[in-house]
Amino acid sequence: MKDVADTSDNLSQTETLVKEIEQSFTLLAKAAHNFDNRYISKVFRDLGPLRRKLNKNSEVLPILINKIFPQDYTNKQYLLEAINATESQPSESLDNEALETSLLPEVQLYVHLLVQVYLLDHNELSRLDTLNGHIVYLLKSFNRRSLDFIQGKIWFYISRTKELLNDLYSIRPELLASLRTATLRHDTETTAFIITLLLRNYLLSHDVTQALNLVEKTEFPEQAGNGLVARYYYYLARIHAIQLDYSSANECVIAAIRKAPQTQLATGFIQSATKLSILIELLMGDIPELKVFKKQPGNFEPYFYVTKAVKLGDLKLFGEVLKKYEEFFKRDDNFTLVSRLRQNVIKTGIRIISLSYSKISLKDICIKLHLDSEELTEYIVSKAIRDGVIEASINHQKGFMQSKELLDVYSTKLPQSEFDQRIKFCLSLHNDSVKSMRYPSDNDTKPETEKNLDKEDEMDLLKAIEEGDLDDFMD
Amino acid sequence: MALVSAAPYLALLSEQDSSLKAYALNSLNDVVDQLWAEIANNITDLEELYEDQSFEKRALAALIISKVYYNLGDFDASVRYSLFAGDEFNIEEQSQYIETIVSQCINLYSSLSQKKYVDSSVEIDPRLSGIFERMLEKCIKTNELKLAIGISLESYRLDIVKHVLEQQIKVNEENALNLINYVLVCTNTVISNTTFRSEVLNSLVSLLLSLSKSQDFFTIFKIVVQLNDSKLGSTIFKELIKKNEELIAYQGAFDLVSTASQELLDTTISELTSDSSIDVSEPVTKRLLSILSGVPTCDLDITFLYKNNNTDITILNKTKNLLESRSSVFHSAVTFANAFMHAGTTDDSFFRKNLEWLGRATNWSKFSATAALGVIHKGNLSQGRNILKPYLPGSSGAAHSKGGSLFALGLIYAGHGREIIEYLKLFIDEHGNSAGSSETEIILHGAALGAGVAGMASGSESLFEALKVVLYSDSAVSGQAAGLAMGLVMLGSGNESAINDMFTYAQETQHENIIRGLAIGIALLNYGREEKADYVIEKLMKQENPILRYGGAFTIALAYAGTGNNGAIKKLLHYAVSDPSDDVRRASVLSLGFLLIRSYTAAPQIVQLLSQSHNPHVRYGTAMALGISCAGRSLPAAIEVLEPLTKDPVDFVRQGALMASAMILIQQNETAYPKVQEFTKQYADTIKNKHEDALAKFGATLAQGIIDAGGRNVSINLEHAQTNTLNIKAIVGLTVFAQSWYWFPLAHFLSLSFTPTSIIGVRSDLKAPQFELNCHAKPELFQYPPKVEEAKEKQPDKLATAVLSTTKKAKSRAKQKQNKKDKMDIDEEKPEPAKEAEKEKEKEKEVSVKEESKENKNEPAVIRYTKTPYKIGNMTRVLPAQSNYIAFSKDDRYVPVRKFRGTGGVVVLEDTKPEEKAETIRTVRQLNATEAPVPEPFTLSEEDLQEDD
Repeated sequence: MKDVADTSDNLSQTETLVKEIEQSFTLLAKAAHNFDNRYISKVFRDLGPLRRKLNKNSEVLPILINKIFPQDYTNKQYLLEAINATESQPSESLDNEALETSLLPEVQLYVHLLVQVYLLDHNELSRLDTLNGHIVYLLKSFNRRSLDFIQGKIWFYISRTKELLNDLYSIRPELLASLRTATLRHDTETTAFIITLLLRNYLLSHDVTQALNLVEKTEFPEQAGNGLVARYYYYLARIHAIQLDYSSANECVIAAIRKAPQTQLATGFIQSATKLSILIELLMGDIPELKVFKKQPGNFEPYFYVTKAVKLGDLKLFGEVLKKYEEFFKRDDNFTLVSRLRQNVIKTGIRIISLSYSKISLKDICIKLHLDSEELTEYIVSKAIRDGVIEASINHQKGFMQSKELLDVYSTKLPQSEFDQRIKFCLSLHNDSVKSMRYPSDNDTKPETEKNLDKEDEMDLLKAIEEGDLDDFMD
Repeated sequence: MALVSAAPYLALLSEQDSSLKAYALNSLNDVVDQLWAEIANNITDLEELYEDQSFEKRALAALIISKVYYNLGDFDASVRYSLFAGDEFNIEEQSQYIETIVSQCINLYSSLSQKKYVDSSVEIDPRLSGIFERMLEKCIKTNELKLAIGISLESYRLDIVKHVLEQQIKVNEENALNLINYVLVCTNTVISNTTFRSEVLNSLVSLLLSLSKSQDFFTIFKIVVQLNDSKLGSTIFKELIKKNEELIAYQGAFDLVSTASQELLDTTISELTSDSSIDVSEPVTKRLLSILSGVPTCDLDITFLYKNNNTDITILNKTKNLLESRSSVFHSAVTFANAFMHAGTTDDSFFRKNLEWLGRATNWSKFSATAALGVIHKGNLSQGRNILKPYLPGSSGAAHSKGGSLFALGLIYAGHGREIIEYLKLFIDEHGNSAGSSETEIILHGAALGAGVAGMASGSESLFEALKVVLYSDSAVSGQAAGLAMGLVMLGSGNESAINDMFTYAQETQHENIIRGLAIGIALLNYGREEKADYVIEKLMKQENPILRYGGAFTIALAYAGTGNNGAIKKLLHYAVSDPSDDVRRASVLSLGFLLIRSYTAAPQIVQLLSQSHNPHVRYGTAMALGISCAGRSLPAAIEVLEPLTKDPVDFVRQGALMASAMILIQQNETAYPKVQEFTKQYADTIKNKHEDALAKFGATLAQGIIDAGGRNVSINLEHAQTNTLNIKAIVGLTVFAQSWYWFPLAHFLSLSFTPTSIIGVRSDLKAPQFELNCHAKPELFQYPPKVEEAKEKQPDKLATAVLSTTKKAKSRAKQKQNKKDKMDIDEEKPEPAKEAEKEKEKEKEVSVKEESKENKNEPAVIRYTKTPYKIGNMTRVLPAQSNYIAFSKDDRYVPVRKFRGTGGVVVLEDTKPEEKAETIRTVRQLNATEAPVPEPFTLSEEDLQEDD
């Protein structure tokens, strides 16, 4: 009895799901006819929940594919093959109008995307890889601006598959070629997607110079969605950090955190960005505030201890922490950066010493910092002086370090430039928000009811855009 | 597996051995698409390699550099190096890189080639032209001829165009003819350089003449008009006569008359008559010459207007009774409305029935009233002079009516001035020097205007000199007219000495009126001169005197009329928002209308923001600009922009908006365009409203005249549909009409813009036979609007005082609700409930009539092709939108000489059964000739009127 109820329940669920997907087709068709990509964002907003539902129900996609594609359609065959289903005679043949909709490139690609997501969720990587081959071929055959959003997303999953298969190199030529195509067609969405994908690809294979080359030679489209911009800045921060350019890395990582959507879905991204940010701040010689560690969920414990070691200037503690959490850092891909902090620990130590003693012998420094020899101490101290970490001088004959009088910051130009920077930031923020405003066009001439309808529609779309394509952060 | 880094190859580049370098280059070429970002770091090394003359693979280096730049998005550099790459750059290759670079090359080539055409010092890389030509060859090979021709036209490569066409003529003449027509359209729309345009046209003529089988003389006539080349015209006519193709010659002549300037016609005639090889006494030649004189066309047109006169006199009577006739503004307004409504119909009964009202005209309103006779009898060549006799100088009338009659004379003979120019000139010569006295001054004003209109574009030096004498007498009244007339006579000639004379005098004189007349005159002189007028525009726009800058704005308008030239539009927009003088700003915005005549659909979008300007002059200009560019086109988008302006707080903006709306909606009925009814109602309401400002009432009255102009049988056509050329007369008419802002009598110039909308079939003997045409559309779409019922107005509204304010409020609230439901935005709320009730009744009627159109009121009805046609007679009204649905029946007795393509005007017919007897329509001229010898003025028309009834 229960079984029967279950199956019937299942059946109705399948039906509603198919209906739901078909509803999104009408939106896609609308996007294709009106050349308004915002409708596609709206479809993507529902993709997350839909994905989870599809995950549980393996019958939906075969039914859908059988239903919408006509018999003997090449796409149909490989799609069905990919999800391991057989072709079946559709119960009702489609009328012409519906057929027209289902054969729209937008709809076709969307179905491909659904299959991709499904396969990814079921970890059927080899199948997905073969499917991807077909999809790349299909993508090249279209040139429609209304496809931009879907195309970008599809590339994302293609690249993700390769990544999971640990095959980072073979995808690069394809990505570069489609990057060129996308730029030529002023397809900003795909361009932005592919640039971030390439950067990720390079970083995963530790080709940092290549990544830097790419960043230098390409222009990231300004109009790209916030999610993509955040990602781009995150990669940028990594590259700069590895290239020792900490100040720009810091700017980038802050931008990445700010631009990242502040929703549940992006927690993972914000966590790893925050970790990077902590490290960069430490590398710059600053100590992050305590609330950074407490504010977010997630395990910041290793970073907290590293910070503590740096703050205390305690090399011993630092060594212990490094040893204890090595695996952890390696998993975060931050181990190299953390190892670099050793110098900072020493520097902080020296700074603390120089603040507390106006004059101290090098030997004492050596003992306090657990350094190996007095010569090394002399060397490190002179380096610190040259780097501007401390304001001091070394008396080489007598072997001591003499600190200089502290300067009043407010007599320098420092506050001024800091202030200038902040004003600039505020102004650009203001300009950005003005630019991103949307003005309704000649609404005054439209009759009342229509206006309201439009407004609702508009609000919906705006919401969709704001939330962007966040579910990508889940991978 | 893809290579991760290009570093090894890049390192090889700095080796000494050139074979190593060559190897490195080859390898780099393979990976450049993936590793360009890295290679870009070493681009200077590659460039050095390319610069090294001794290195044999330098071309390959150039190719790699080009690809790197392409990937970097620097297409200019990429193109440069791709040219250096020589043969390594293979344009046959199928890749995105090649595609992009080749298209960039073509762009570069066309822009360089265009520059080269103007300035021969510009040099083009032979490799670039090589690529260009190779691509063209490819196009031609794949038979993409239109593409090839289009690209070469854009690059000013006439030789290629010619070559392609010549080849095509050898293969397939029919196709070649199509291509030639395509080139013809392109020359009008794409090519901005006038000298190149005439070069193309000239070569097209020679190509057309070389066609052996399917010769298309009508296309040649089109080119004749565009080139303004009388010699070509006369040779074609001679050839046609020789070939005995007299019907084609007649049709061509009719086409010329309807589209060409008077000067072209005059010189063509004189060339034909002076040629000894042609026997002028031969009937065919004689008839041809008579057609070219324009008289038959004029006669046919006026006959059409006279026969189909469908004026709704009640509208005019109502307006007349509502407006206080003692105010000269209102008196003139009614005069103009009357003139427009009856333009060309020869029906002047309104004046005769309202003699008392007419008697109240004083001074210049008398001038206008007399001149109105000219508008009404426009084109009545045979009778014109007789009708005006009682008013002409020499009679006992007042100076104003004498002046008016001379102006009227000019209007009657507008464009056919040969007969009366001498008379007017004689008068000017005699009195030119005595312009000081107030009497002569007024008469000279009329004479100068008359001479200007009649001798428009005749380029007559003697007339110009005579007018100059009037000008130099420095009288504000006659000088203004003389300045304007000088421009009209020399229209479009660009005569430099004339411009100089006028400009110098404009700077010398103290009278603003004269300066304005001269400024517009200069503008007229530069009609259609495009870039050749730039120096004049510059000079005028730099003047301190705002009136001259005002003229400058109009010079831009006329010099670039219909071209949609971006530079000119930018200039006008600049002055429209930045000039300190309101007049100049108004003129600049208004001038936009002239520029956008051809691309009129873009006009509402361009001026929409200006229509919300804080400056009322700019708003007025916007309204008029829309009225001008969309005249006669009933464009919903334009009406949408105009609608708020008709409710503007400033009176003259409302005036402009009302007039403009009438210009746009002219000849529409409410089935075809439901909104028309709303507008006609608004005109009437504006006039009725006691608290309305005089200027707005003036505008509304004129609007009534315009929308029902010419007994509803005329439209404003700024572009000849058949030749794609501009209708000069109409444009000039609108330009001078726009000056009525300063000087009311100039409003009569609008009549020049009216063209009869009809199809008139004539036989070879130039008589119009009775026959029928098929119209494949619903008849109600093209009917005349219904007559206004008079009875309503007489209802007394006694109830007005007895209604409580609460009920009133409730009613208005209810009404508002209903309005919302109906999706209409009628803001006005009339206080009198009696009228309101009446309105509601009306509305109910409306609802039942056009329920379907209710959904979207501002949309014209869609015209559908119906299989079963209804019949219309020869010489009846055919709207421009209707003419596409008109067809000749195949087995009819009369067949048009030219394949009928839905263009109105005079159509020459071939009589397939000449032996049968046919009934013909008698023209006005014939009627006059057979009836009583020289009938009394007016009596004739009265009889006609009775016939009509």
